This record gives sequence, C-alpha cells and structure tokens, in this order.
Amino acid sequence: MGACSSSAALDALLHNDADQPHYVPPPCQVACPIGTDVASYVGLIWLKDYEGALEAITATNPLSGTCGRVCDAPCEPACRRTSSDGAVTIRGLKRFVMDKLGSTWSPPVQLPTKAKTVAIVGSGPAGLTAAQDIAQAGYHVHLYEAASKPGGVLTWGIPDFRLPAEVVEQDIGHVLTRYPGIKLHLSTPLGEAVSLGDLTAKHDAVLLATGANAGKKLGIPGDDLPSIVDGVTFLARVNGGARPTMPETVLVIGGGDVAMDACRVARRLPGVKKVRVLYRRGPHEIPARKHELHAAVAEGIEIVYNVQPVSVSEGPGGQAILRVQKTKLGDPGPDGRRRPVAIEGQDEDIAAGLIIASVGQKSISRELSRCGLMADDRIETDAETMRTRMAHVYAAGDGAFGPSTIVNAMGQGHRAAYYVIAQLEGIDNPKPYATPNRTRTVPVAQDPLWEKLPAEDPAYIPLGDHPETFSESEANYTEQAAIEQAARCYRCDTETGSADYSVKLRETIFEMVNIAPQTAPRAAITRARLVPREDPFPPEHIANFDDLTFVPANLSRLVIDPYRESCKTRTVLGGEIVMDQALLISGFDDAAEPVQAAVAAGIAAGGGGYVGRKPIAGNIPWLQLLHRGETASADAAAVIGIVDDALFVPPVAHDGQVTGLCLSVGQIAAGIPFALEHKIGIIILDASRAIDKSWPELHSVPNLALISESIELLRAANSEEVLDLVYFGGIRSGTDLAKVLSLGCVSAIAAVAPALAIGGEITADGVVFPPLATAKQRTDAIANYLKAAASEVSMMARCTGKTNIHNLEPEDLRSLNLAAERATKIIMAGYRRAS
Amino acid sequence: MVTIDLATLTVREANEKLREVAALGQDIELLNPDAKHHLGVGLTTPAKVHIRGSAGYFCAGLTHGAQFIVDSNVGWGVGDNMYSGSVVVGGNAGAIAGVAIRGADIVIKGNMGSRAGQVMKAGTLCCGGNASFLAGYMMYGGRIIILGDSGERVGEDMSNGAIFVGGRIQSLGSDAEIGEVTPEEDIEIRDFLAKYNMPFTGTFKKVQGAGKKLRYSGSEPILRPLPYTEFTDQSSYWNRKVQEDIRVKASIGRYRIRGYGAAKPLPHLGDIAIKVNPDRIGIGPDPVKSVNLRTKLGDRHGAKPLELSFPVMIAPMSFGALSRSTKMALAIASRLSDTVENTGEGGMLPQERAEAKQLIFQCLSGRLGWNIQDMQKADAIEIYISQGAKPGLGGQLMAKKVTKELAAIRGIPEGIDLRSPSRHPDIMGADDLVIKVEEFREATGYRIPISVKMGAGRVRDDIKIAYKDGFDFVQLDGMQGSTGAASSEVLEHVGIPTLAALQEALDGLEECGHNGDMPIVLMGGIKDGIDAVKALALGASAVGVGTSALIAGGCIACMQCHVGNCVVGIATQDPEHEKRYETHKQAQAIHRYLETVRWQIAALTQALGYDDFRKLSRDDLVAVTPEAAAMTGLPYDPSYREIEEQILTKVA
Repeated sequence: MGACSSSAALDALLHNDADQPHYVPPPCQVACPIGTDVASYVGLIWLKDYEGALEAITATNPLSGTCGRVCDAPCEPACRRTSSDGAVTIRGLKRFVMDKLGSTWSPPVQLPTKAKTVAIVGSGPAGLTAAQDIAQAGYHVHLYEAASKPGGVLTWGIPDFRLPAEVVEQDIGHVLTRYPGIKLHLSTPLGEAVSLGDLTAKHDAVLLATGANAGKKLGIPGDDLPSIVDGVTFLARVNGGARPTMPETVLVIGGGDVAMDACRVARRLPGVKKVRVLYRRGPHEIPARKHELHAAVAEGIEIVYNVQPVSVSEGPGGQAILRVQKTKLGDPGPDGRRRPVAIEGQDEDIAAGLIIASVGQKSISRELSRCGLMADDRIETDAETMRTRMAHVYAAGDGAFGPSTIVNAMGQGHRAAYYVIAQLEGIDNPKPYATPNRTRTVPVAQDPLWEKLPAEDPAYIPLGDHPETFSESEANYTEQAAIEQAARCYRCDTETGSADYSVKLRETIFEMVNIAPQTAPRAAITRARLVPREDPFPPEHIANFDDLTFVPANLSRLVIDPYRESCKTRTVLGGEIVMDQALLISGFDDAAEPVQAAVAAGIAAGGGGYVGRKPIAGNIPWLQLLHRGETASADAAAVIGIVDDALFVPPVAHDGQVTGLCLSVGQIAAGIPFALEHKIGIIILDASRAIDKSWPELHSVPNLALISESIELLRAANSEEVLDLVYFGGIRSGTDLAKVLSLGCVSAIAAVAPALAIGGEITADGVVFPPLATAKQRTDAIANYLKAAASEVSMMARCTGKTNIHNLEPEDLRSLNLAAERATKIIMAGYRRAS
Repeated sequence: MVTIDLATLTVREANEKLREVAALGQDIELLNPDAKHHLGVGLTTPAKVHIRGSAGYFCAGLTHGAQFIVDSNVGWGVGDNMYSGSVVVGGNAGAIAGVAIRGADIVIKGNMGSRAGQVMKAGTLCCGGNASFLAGYMMYGGRIIILGDSGERVGEDMSNGAIFVGGRIQSLGSDAEIGEVTPEEDIEIRDFLAKYNMPFTGTFKKVQGAGKKLRYSGSEPILRPLPYTEFTDQSSYWNRKVQEDIRVKASIGRYRIRGYGAAKPLPHLGDIAIKVNPDRIGIGPDPVKSVNLRTKLGDRHGAKPLELSFPVMIAPMSFGALSRSTKMALAIASRLSDTVENTGEGGMLPQERAEAKQLIFQCLSGRLGWNIQDMQKADAIEIYISQGAKPGLGGQLMAKKVTKELAAIRGIPEGIDLRSPSRHPDIMGADDLVIKVEEFREATGYRIPISVKMGAGRVRDDIKIAYKDGFDFVQLDGMQGSTGAASSEVLEHVGIPTLAALQEALDGLEECGHNGDMPIVLMGGIKDGIDAVKALALGASAVGVGTSALIAGGCIACMQCHVGNCVVGIATQDPEHEKRYETHKQAQAIHRYLETVRWQIAALTQALGYDDFRKLSRDDLVAVTPEAAAMTGLPYDPSYREIEEQILTKVA
C-alpha cells in the first residue's frame, strides 16, 4: 500500500484514542457504529456533569435526542454487565441527558469556509449525519428531500408514541442552526424535481441517502388485495397525521421493528378490537427489541409464533382470509439463522379486516435505475469507500445497504462524509476510515452500591384512555434513577488500580479467550506481548519509600501473627521523652487555633509528640525548634536547634531538657560528629531543608540517603546507639515509618499527612483547612491517623518476625530498584552480585 | 487381636500393616512403640489399637473412627486433626494435644503440654491433670475439660467452644472471659468423665471467647480504585491516591484492606526480552503437536507425580474467597486443559474433586476444612507457609463471606470475621516441618507428592530449608501474587518481586548442592505464555496462574474482592451475586485462555528452535532494564527493546 495522506478535516473524523497507553475502547463503544464515548457520558451523569455528558453524546451524533428514544442500542447487548445482572441502560441514560438539556442547548454556529458544494439526497439519519460532517469541514451542503418534512424514517417511519415529532424537529433544528451552510430543499424528489444529472453538474459531489423507502410485499397469492397494506406505507400515512378508522381485526405479518410499530399504531387507532402479529419463527428468534415486544404484549397485542402466510383471499364483508402454515425451525440458512420449515397439513385460515405486511423494505428509484446505479433493490455501493458506479457519486444508508438501524445509517453517513471530504480536498488515497474511539477520561462513579444496584429499564407507560393521541409510551428516568443506573457501569474504559493488571493487560487476557484458536490471531497476540514494557524506573527516578520492601519471615524466621500477637511500639527519645508510638507530628505552628487544639487532642489520644517552634498543648511532649540565638522554653521536652549556617549547641531552659540538632542535606558530615562531641541526644534529619517553614514537604522529595549516610557516620564513630535519629520529609503512613525505623531511625515526623488527615486541602498556598469539620471530627481524625500508622508499623514488624518495632533492621528490607539501592545501600532482592 | 511389633518393623511398615489388619475388622496391639512418631497415622477404619508403651509425635493423627489406647506418654500433637474415634493416654501428653481435631475424644490421664486443642473445631479434649500455657489457643469449637489447673492464658484468641477448668485458672488469655456453666453442660461433662473412668467431684469454671478482638467499629468505605497512574506519576508525591489513603485511615483508625496483589510497578517478567525473531512465531508445523510440553511434578521420593500436559497449573484459590461456581469453573477448565487445580485454603468441595482431574489439597495454619478423607482423595498435598500477596498474614475472610455452608466445610462458626493464624500450630521451624511432612506421607501411604507453598521473603535461605525438608516440589509466589483480601500495606510493601524470588530460589538451590530434583512452580503475576516462557527459561519447572485465569473467566480487575459483592459473581458468597457467574460458560472461557497459553509456550519454544520446552534456557533471554539485569544476573541489553519494537512495527 502506498503512503496515505490526510487533512485536518479528515483527522477530525478519525479521532482515535486507542493508541493511548491507559485506554482501550470499551465493548459498548466498539459496538456503536458511530463510536459514542458511552463510558464517559455515563460517568459524567453520575458526576451530575450533564453538560459534559451532552458534549460526549453529541460529539459524533447529530440525532442524539432521537437516539435517546429509539436507538437500537447495540451498545447494550455488548455491555459486559449484560451477562451479570443486566446491561447498563445506555439508551435511557442518553434520553435523560437530552430531555434535560436538549431544548436549551445551542451549539456554536459554524459558517461555511470553502466554496465547494455537495448534494445530499435524502434527509434521514445517513443524509443528516453526512451533511453535518461535510458542513463541519467547511463546505456547502444542499440537502434534497422528496417529502414535505425532513427526517426520512424518523419522521415518516417511527410513530409519535415512540419518537415524538418535536424530538426529531429539535435534532434537525440543531443541525441546521449550527451549520447555516446546509440548505434544505423540501419536496424535491429525485427524478422529478431534480435529476441526478443536474446534481452532478451543479455540485462537486453527490451523496445518495435515499433510504429503504418502500415496503416489500408478501409474495403470495392474493398479495394485491385492497385489504393488504405494507407496513412502510401504513406507518407513513399515520405518521403524516392520518388517524384512519380501523376494522375490528388487524393482522400484522413480520417480527421486526416495523411490525412492532405497525401493530402498536393499529392498536391505537379507532375501531380496532384485536391486533395479532404473525411471526414465522419462535420467540427466541424474533428480531424485535425486547422492550417493544413487551410493550406490544402489554397493550393487548397477541404475538403468534411459528406461522407463515400461504395465501390471501377475499372473504365475506370485505374481510381478508389469510391462510397460514405452522412452522418449525430447520437448518441454518445463509444468514446463520435457522430457517422456518412448514409443517404440512396443519394449515389454518384467519379472517381479518386489514393485513399489514411488515416483511422488509427496499429502495425504489426509477431515476437511479435509469442511471444504472441500482443492483436489485439497492444502490450498488462499495462498503469501504461508499462509492457508487458513478464518479463523485456516493451512497449511504438503507438505500445502499438494505434495511438496518438508525445508528448504522448514521455510521454510514460518517463514513461517506469522510470519503466525500477526501475527494473535495483532493486526497486520492486517504487513510482508511475507522469509527472514532475517543475517551474523555472521566473518573469512575464512587457509588458504594455500584455492584448491587439492579438494572432498571425506563418505565413503560400504558395506553391509557386515549390511545389515539399517540402519547409517549416510555417514561424518562428521574435524576435519582439515572444516577443509580449510571453508577452500575463497570467503566471498562478506565485504567485499573494495578500497574500489574493494567487495562491493556486485562483486555489482552480477554482477547486470549475470544480469539479464534488459529495461528494468525494467536501469533499476532503473542508478538504484541513480546515488546517489553516501558522501564518503570528510568534513570531520572528518585528513590522514595515505595522503592523499599520488607522481607517477611517464612521458614528461616518465625513470623509473629499480625492479627493477634502483640508488638511493642513504645518509643523513647533522648533517653527521656517517652511516647506510646513512634510518629511525631509537625507543621501546625501557624494553623488556626481550633485546628491546633484538635491536633493536640488527637496526639494526646493517639500518642506521640509535637515538633514545632511553638507548643501546641500542655500535656503532650513538645520538641521545640529554634534557631541560633533564640531562647529555650521551659515547657519543651526537648530543644532542637535548626542549623542555618554554623553549628551550635542548643540552649536549655533547665537541667534534664533533651537537646537536639536539626540537620539538612550537606550538614550531617560536620553536624553528626559535632552532636556526638557535645552529647546532643536527638538529630532530626530534615529532608525538606525547611522544617519550620510552611509545609516544606509539598516542595521537596524524601531523601533516603540522608538516613543511610548518617548511619554510616555514626558507625564510623562507633556510636550507632548514642543518639536518636528522627527523620522528616514525606512520611505518609506507618509503613513509611517502619522503613525509616529499619534504616536506623528511632522516630519520624509527619506534617502534610496529618494535615490531610484532618481535612486539609493542598493548594498553591500550602495546606488550607476548610471550616467544615467539627472539633471532635478533627480530633478523631488525628487520633485515627496515628492509630492506623501504629497498626501499620507494627504489622510490618510482625511480618518480619519482630515483637518490637524498634527491632526492625536494615536486613528486613530489600531495595526494589537501583535508585533505592544507591540511596540506602540496601541490597536489591534477587541475584547476588559481587559488591 | 493382632500384634504388631515395632522392634521388627519400621513405622511405615507398621502403619501399612495396621491399616491392612484394621480393614479386616481386627483389633491390634502395638508392641515396643518406643515413642516413635506417627503411630497409627492415617487410619480410617474403626478398630481398637492398643499401644503398649509411649508414642511420639502425632500419635493417632489424621485418623477417622479408630479407638486408641496408649499405656504411657505421648509426644506432641496426639490425635492431630482426628475426625472421630478416641485416644486415651495413660500418662502425659506433650504440646498441642488434640490440635485441630474435628470430632473425637482425646483423653489424657496425666498432664498435657502447651497450646492443647489449638485450632480445634469439635470434639472433646480432656486432661486429668494440669494443662500448660495457652490451652484452647485459637479454638473454633468443641470443648476442653481440664480437671487440674488451666495453665497461663487459657483460651487465648478462642473463637468459639468452651474450656472447663476444675482446678485453678492461672490466667485468662487475650479475648477470653469467664462464662456460666449450665446444668446441661455440667451433666454432659460428668457423663464424659464417667465414660472414661475419671472420678471428679469438684466444680468447673468455664472459659469462653469474649469476641472483642478483631472486631472493628465502622467499616471501611467502599471506594473503587483510582487508576494506578495516579500513584505512579513521580511528579506528584501527595497524589490523589495518597490523599485518599490518609483520609480513609483518618476515618477508620486502621490499615486499609483490598483484593488483588501489589499494584505499584515492580521489576517483572515484562522487563525481560526473549531472544526470538517474532517473524518465526507460528510459521512451522502446529507447535502444540510438534513441541513437547508434558511434564511431571512430585516424584522426588517415589510418589505418583502430577502429570501436566503443559507446564501451567491453576494457582491455589479458596472456596470462600471465590464462589463455589468459580471454583467449579476452574476445576472444569483444569480438566479440559489437562492440568492441575488447587483447593486453596478452606477445604475440598466434592464437586470440585469430581470435576478436576488432578487436584492439590492445601494445608494451612488454621486447618480449615482439613481432614484425612480429603487428603486421601488428593493428587498432591501442599503445605502453605505463606503466599506472595501477604506473606506473614494468614488468610482473611470477612464475615459476610463466612456463610453457613462455608462454615460447615471449614469446621468453624458461621459469620465470624475469619483471620487465619500466621503460623501452623505444629511447624515452628525447619525440624518440625520435616516431621509434619513425614506425618502426611504416613497418612497417605507415601503415594502422594507433598509440596510447599511459599511467599517470597528470604527465598535464598527458605528454599534450602524446603530442600532439606524433603518436599517434592515448591510453589513459589512472588509479591505480584493476588489475594481476595489483605492489608493494602502488606500487599504493596512486604515480599520481593516474582522475578527476584525465582532467581534467589535457583541460586539457593545451587548453593546447597541440589541435583535438580526439587522443581519450582513459579506464580505471582504470570499473565500468559510469554511470561511462562520467560519463567521456564530462567529455571522454573512450571508456572501457576490465578488472577489471569479469573480474568479469563470474566473478572474485570476492580480489586473489590474483599467487599464480597463481586459484580461478576466471582469473589462472593452472596447467592444473588453468585448466580451472575455462569459456570460452564466461564469454564470454557478459562479453558480457551489456557489453550492460548499452551499455544504461546509451544510456538515460542518452536520459534527458538527447540522441540521441548525443557530446552529453554537463560541463554534465550536478555534483561532490558538495569533492575531486571540486577535481579536475575541476565545480561543487560536495552538494544533488544528497540529491535522488538521495530519488528513489531514492520509486522503491523
């Protein structure tokens, strides 16, 4: 294949996010012929972002209101939840959004920017979709419609109780308002008001979207009797406004959508008493959608299965007599469906006032036949490029490919538009069209009941006393119901919570199940997985706590039961300060008084102490931070000097006060020998370099080397147990604390983490505390945070076989990558390398 | 009465003879027992066995229905896991008398050692003298009668059942309390004592579980996981995931729990490349027919080995963590693909046994669902030391999943928040483990392979113990292994990666001079045949797939296994949710997945130019990250990354 070319307009129609590393188009989206980003709009509904949902819905769908009512919704059977407890009700959710916002939505107007013009014949789903795409690309579109109103099958085929005229008018109105370059020519039938020759002469391209505009006949003796009408003709008449009085009994032959519409229309018209549908296969084979079938039955329509018509004759009083045969299912036919086979000798006659034959549709156009474009009852069209036998003439929709669904016709409209635009832009060899797959990366619904909420279809509205008004037969969701239904979505489109079982990996495993057990697909899937993943630890990776792991006790050590057996957390600093657990809190010097009070009460309940320039409350150990020249407080349990430039011995307010130094990177080489020399009890290793400033952990990263280098200095001085190391910088959890203890510290300090625990929010100005929480909630939050941290540190200790958290040692750790190994000198797990 | 003289027979011969004679309905006396271990172990026919002297460890262990009399003393674990029947010991008993019994009367006329009745489920353990410390430790049911003093910390962490003490209660165990002895209970005790001719006129105090420990107020909020990209972006240390963790813990005051395994990126098999030309894959004759994939596991000591039609088995996953329907689908799929299934913790389902052609029966610390009848139906026995997802932690099953049926099969009370013990009652170290393995071999007549399941810790050391303790094979599980529920901190931060675990195991075996006779089955994040080939080439003999098999059967990787409302009916015991899982459909899906794995292993082996997967070697691999090179000792060759990408682009 030669090189493909493209243009901005074409690329806009090909939007495909499937190449993104964390997205695989979900089955619903893949099943949608127009690639609707279902998962995103469902997710947005749960978030109550209805504008966002509207954008996602309408992005590839100019008939969104219509689709919310009557789309065949191939997405729903494709939904993975179908096999669990029922598909997500995607169509109903679309209607909910469109009913809410469709009438007020006014998309920005876009004027044509290019001179070329395109003629589109037919203003049904295929024609309208193509018109919008081509106008979007900047071209003029002339939309020729044979009827007096636009919409094609939407207007003439589908009755108002399923699709109210206003909904179609609204959809079409949006298209025409948004794209003034689309000129609508009503009552302009092809071959009468305008010829194909005129169009090809006048326009740069022509797209035939004429639809399957005629009903098929039964093809049996008596077919031409006046008491037989085809479904398309019948529906067009009623949808045009007629309300004919019906005979008492009506028979509808067929089992498709038209049959369902026809029987339900007949049921609503005056005079009718009995409507029966005759279908030649069984209830499992009937193609009608389940909810329409249910509605028909609910409206008193009888569905007779396994019968097929043989002939029609005239009976008394203008009645038709239909002779039918019983059938059973035979072998599969060429379409894969099992063929009905007549059971001989069980024929039966049924009398009816009217027979509506709904056994298929076809496309009829003398003009196109005359031009040699027809093959049987379809316009001969290349399914890939939508080209017809005639240059610059394209076709799409049911007229080209036979009766199908609205959304399929729309998909064909998009495809045709793509190749028409390619031609207009002079691109001979465009990239092949593919249905767009786009994601808006919407977060999943955090609904605790998402696994339990049952599928609930939109409510069916019974006929009522005035069926002839054709009032709607399906209700919209309430907001509550819509949100619940949206919560049910699996969100197959989102990245998983596990780097190991990522969304791509999960889909690969699904594919391993679903591919044909043949060489080519198996080889392809195998080759794709041979490509190594991206290096998770590129050279620029900076080691943090997550890059260390604990080695559990197994056979070579005895594990301590983390659920039951006790593990000591008592912590002593500087030989004097006794705490129930090893985590200190800092950072609240400038917080509002209620926040400080809650932190103090939380520390009192959870254990530990406070590190700061100011005390936070009387009864908890306070490690006072001060700079050179400042005065020690008599209330402080310890006085810690922050080393700015020169080292100094911190002052004390009284005997027995523990002293300490706070050292940053670059200060330990001189600071640790100094501390040993001056019998200083505590060293805070400040990875943030700014412990007494506002939330310095937000602007720094953990520094594991600071600990290991300090230990080396102490070891070199043969003084490992002489003073207590306390680490500050990026501590999030008890597990981080456990790692710090294993590396050789006695304690650690957390600031941002408890601030988050108490409800703080990270902003550009640091952590701010919304005034929402009560004092009790805040106190509990700090106490709980500390309790959880204590439970985590002791869980790590017990897994490694320790009954005291201070027995954790470097041997209990392994590095998970080389960055961590370099920073901590903790060896990596695995192969033993020569050091 | 038939006499068996242990002066002339080995224990193995004596036990075989014992079973033979008992099957004929004869009573037996054992002479010269000389405190030998495992006497009578594995006897499942009713018979009277009189041991004239003292017995060693596990006397009458793993038996069903026989009546034993021991004239003198017994070592530890008398009546281990006994189902029904009785043991009457004339003298004293060592530690863990009546451990894990599921019925039966165990009567010690003298004193008994520590931890008597540990994890017992039912039956009566009666001691005429004093008990040592921790009597009734973690018992789930049944009763212990102590006529003398209780020992210290009696009833520690007991879930259910009762301990009746005639003498002094030295101290109550954690989570134990004093209860009221009902008149009915008193009558039943005295009837029991009369039956075994143990006169006692004093009164009893009752010790029972207080049920306060391991109970939490306020449940953890149900939150679907944030995309892992949230916490792997190095530019955002205080990311949304960190914030969520902190806020949840601030509301519940304890560590969080979830399903699945380590979620953070770790060095893994994906960092290794196979030196194969992708163009050669699938171009030869049908690889499945032309490459040998068959292998055996477990004949190191002459047992009947497991026969694998390809070197992949189903990893152990329990009925409990998984629904019955899911267990059935795995069993059926394992049969269709002619490989091996595994019960996991919590007992063997009869239908699972019937559907799986070959089934490994897993023995865990809590001995939940463990019994001699199912042991004898197993094709292999696996002693669980730990698992990759949560080494150090015992199994965890939230109360919601402990249904009536599940409780019955496990032998525990319904609706308890189940946390299995971290250690086996009778395995405190390598030497105990040897004796435990021997007991199992005796109980199953040396017919069945016995393996060990290990999470990945100090694998280099642990594997040497496993080797010396004589296991037939090892199931080694790295930290990428998944679970139904565990502390998320342990999932992320305890254990070493699968890749490192395998390398340490191979190196450790090398160091202790093995002769290649203890195969390693590697598990923990094995996704497909590509991963399998890498593991096999590194030196594993087979691999296990757990999570991937579940995904093949419809799991969507939402990591909410612990909640119990599994949306697809896999990790649930709720019938309304379980019915969403179509067993036969999903069995076929898992089978198709396994067949794709089979094809991939065969096709890659073939593309590398071999006709047998056992010819795969380290020479077929390179490391494409410095970490993978450091962990495995494979050459580091980042250029291979580009080569493969180019070839793939070309093919596409």
